[in-house]
Amino acid sequence: MAEKTEARKKSRISPIFKRAISHIFTKPATTKYPSTKPTLPPDARGKLIYEIKDCNTIDFGSGPDFRLDIKALRGSTCHVCERDCPADAIKIVEVDGKRRPQINLNKCIFCCQCIEACPRKAIKQSDFYELATTDKESLVMKPEYNKQGASQ
Amino acid sequence: MGTNIGVYYHVHTSKSFFTLKAEVPKENPRLKTLIDIHPGALFHELEVTDLIGVVFEGNEFHGHFVLSENWPDGFYPLRKDVDPSKVKLVPTPEREANKAAEGRQVKIIIGPQHPALFEPAKFSVTVDGEIVTNVEPRIGYAHRGIEKTTESRTYMQDIYLVERVCGICNPCHAYGLVGAVEKILKPDVPERARYLRVIALELNRIHSHLLVLGHAGLEIGYETIFQYFWRDREPIIDLVELTSGNRIYSSLITIGGVRRDITPEHIPKIKSVIADLRTKLPFYRKIYNDEPTLRLRMKGIGTLSREDALKLSVSGPVARGSAVDMDIRKDLPYEAYGEIPFKEIVYTDGDTWSRMNVRLDEVEESINIINYALDHLPSGPIRVEVARSIPVGEAVCSLEAPRGELFYYVRSNGTDRPDRVKIRTPTFANIPAFLKTAIGESIADVPSNFASLDPCFSCTDR
Repeated sequence: MAEKTEARKKSRISPIFKRAISHIFTKPATTKYPSTKPTLPPDARGKLIYEIKDCNTIDFGSGPDFRLDIKALRGSTCHVCERDCPADAIKIVEVDGKRRPQINLNKCIFCCQCIEACPRKAIKQSDFYELATTDKESLVMKPEYNKQGASQ
Repeated sequence: MGTNIGVYYHVHTSKSFFTLKAEVPKENPRLKTLIDIHPGALFHELEVTDLIGVVFEGNEFHGHFVLSENWPDGFYPLRKDVDPSKVKLVPTPEREANKAAEGRQVKIIIGPQHPALFEPAKFSVTVDGEIVTNVEPRIGYAHRGIEKTTESRTYMQDIYLVERVCGICNPCHAYGLVGAVEKILKPDVPERARYLRVIALELNRIHSHLLVLGHAGLEIGYETIFQYFWRDREPIIDLVELTSGNRIYSSLITIGGVRRDITPEHIPKIKSVIADLRTKLPFYRKIYNDEPTLRLRMKGIGTLSREDALKLSVSGPVARGSAVDMDIRKDLPYEAYGEIPFKEIVYTDGDTWSRMNVRLDEVEESINIINYALDHLPSGPIRVEVARSIPVGEAVCSLEAPRGELFYYVRSNGTDRPDRVKIRTPTFANIPAFLKTAIGESIADVPSNFASLDPCFSCTDR
C-alpha cells in the first residue's frame, strides 16, 4: 500500500505526454505501403526464379553440396531441390521428355535451401515479394513457364 | 526402443548437468514420479504420459494434457510403432470447466481465444470476489506434433521445421537442433560462424524482448508504450532482414556454420541502428520506473519468491527476476559466449516489474554483446561441409533463448533422419510459475502477470 501511495506522489504528469505531444510535429514512423514501397536489402529472400536452360544435364562434382547416389541420377535431373525442400514445394514433372522441377510458391517458405543445393545454380532468388493473387494456380511455376528464357 | 521405453530426465542444476536414465517395459510402463523431489517435473511428466504413455505414479492426470480431448485413450503418438491410420477420434466429452465452483466462488474461463497474447490457451480461474483462488490450465490447442514430424524428415529439412516451433525465437530453435547435431557430428565450425551465430541470436533476443516489453503495456491498457516499443523493434527486424534476407525467419544457422556472412558494409549500419536503440533505452527505463500507470499495475504484483522459482524450475528472465542467477550463456557457454564479456542481469523482487526490467536491461547487454562481437569478428570461412547422414549417437543442447532455457535432445540412428528429437521449451516450463503467482492476486492482474512470463503457446504446445 505504501508503495502505491509513493508511486502516486512521485509523478503526476508522465514523461510520455511530453514525448507524445512532440510526435505531433514529427513524421510518422510508418510508411504508406502501396504508394511508397520499402527498400529491401539486396539479398532479401523473395520469389524464386527458375532458369530451365541451366537445369539440364548433371555435371558431377560441380556443386558444393553435391553428394548423391549416382544410381538415383540415371534419368535426367538430379532431384536435389525436390529432396531438400522442407515444404514439399518442389515437384519433379516431365516436360518434353525431360524431368524438371515445378515450384509451387503457395507452399514455398522462401528458405532458399533449393538455391544452396542446386549443383547447376538453376534456381535463383529475387527480392520480389508481392505475390498476392486471386488465382492460386498462377503461383505454380511450371517449367514451361520460363521456356522463353531457355531459347535465348 | 524395442520392448522397453527409455525415460530420461535431463537435470540442469546451478553447478552441473546430468541425465537420469530409466527403462520401463512397454506393456506396463509405470514409474514413480519425481515431483516430490523436484516439483518442476510436474508438467514434463504429464506431457510424457500423454504422448508416450509412461504413467508416473503419484502424478496422474484425468483426460488429456496436451492432446485434443477427442483423441482416443491408449494411443500414444510419439511411440515408434504407432499407426496413424488406426486413430479413431472419439466424441468430445462434456466440458467439465462449465461446472460451477463451490460456495460463493465464481469460475471464470479465460481463453481459449486470446488469454493474454493472441494465442490459444485456456485458464479456468476461480475467484472469490476479485481474488483468484485457483487456476487450472488447459494447453495443447496449438499442438502440431513437430517432435514427431522431425523423425520423418532429413536434418536439413528439420532445421526449417523447428524454426516454425516459434516464430519469434526461431534462430534459437534452429541453433538448438544444430547444436545438438554438431555435438554428435563434431564438425570444425569456423570461428567466424560462431560469432555470427551470437550476433543472430542476440538480435533475436533484442526484438523478442522489445515485443514483450510493449506487450505488457498493452495488457494493462497502456497502448502508447506498446506502440513505442514496437516502433523501435522495427529497425531491429530490418537488421535481421539485412543480415539474413528475411524479417522474421532468419534461417541463418545451419549445420556446420551459418548461411550468410556479415559484410563490411553491414557493420556500420548494424552499429548505428543499435546505437540509436541504446539512446532510447533511458527513456523507457524512466517510464518503467516513474510512470504511475505501470508501477501500480506491476510493482508487487505476481511475486514469485526465490525458493518457489527454484522449486518450480523456472528459467530465463522469470528466474532472473526472482534473484536466481541462472543464464545458460554464463553457466554453460556455447558458441562465442565464453569469450564475450557481459553482465548477467538479476533483480531480486520477483514481481512483474522485476521481470520486465530484467528484459529491459538485457536489451542493453545484448547491444553490448553485438558491438563486441562485431569488433572482434574473426575472419575466415563461415561454413564447413558436413555429411548429410549423422552417425549413431545422442546429444543434448541447452541454450538461453529470450524466454529462458531452451533444451534440445537429438538421438540419431545413422541415417539422414533423426530417431528422436525432444524439445523442451522455456515457456512450457514457466507456466507453473503463473499458476503459482496468480493465486491471491486480483483477477484484473491475471493478463499482465501472465504477459510478464512472456508466454508463447506455439512454443508451449509444439
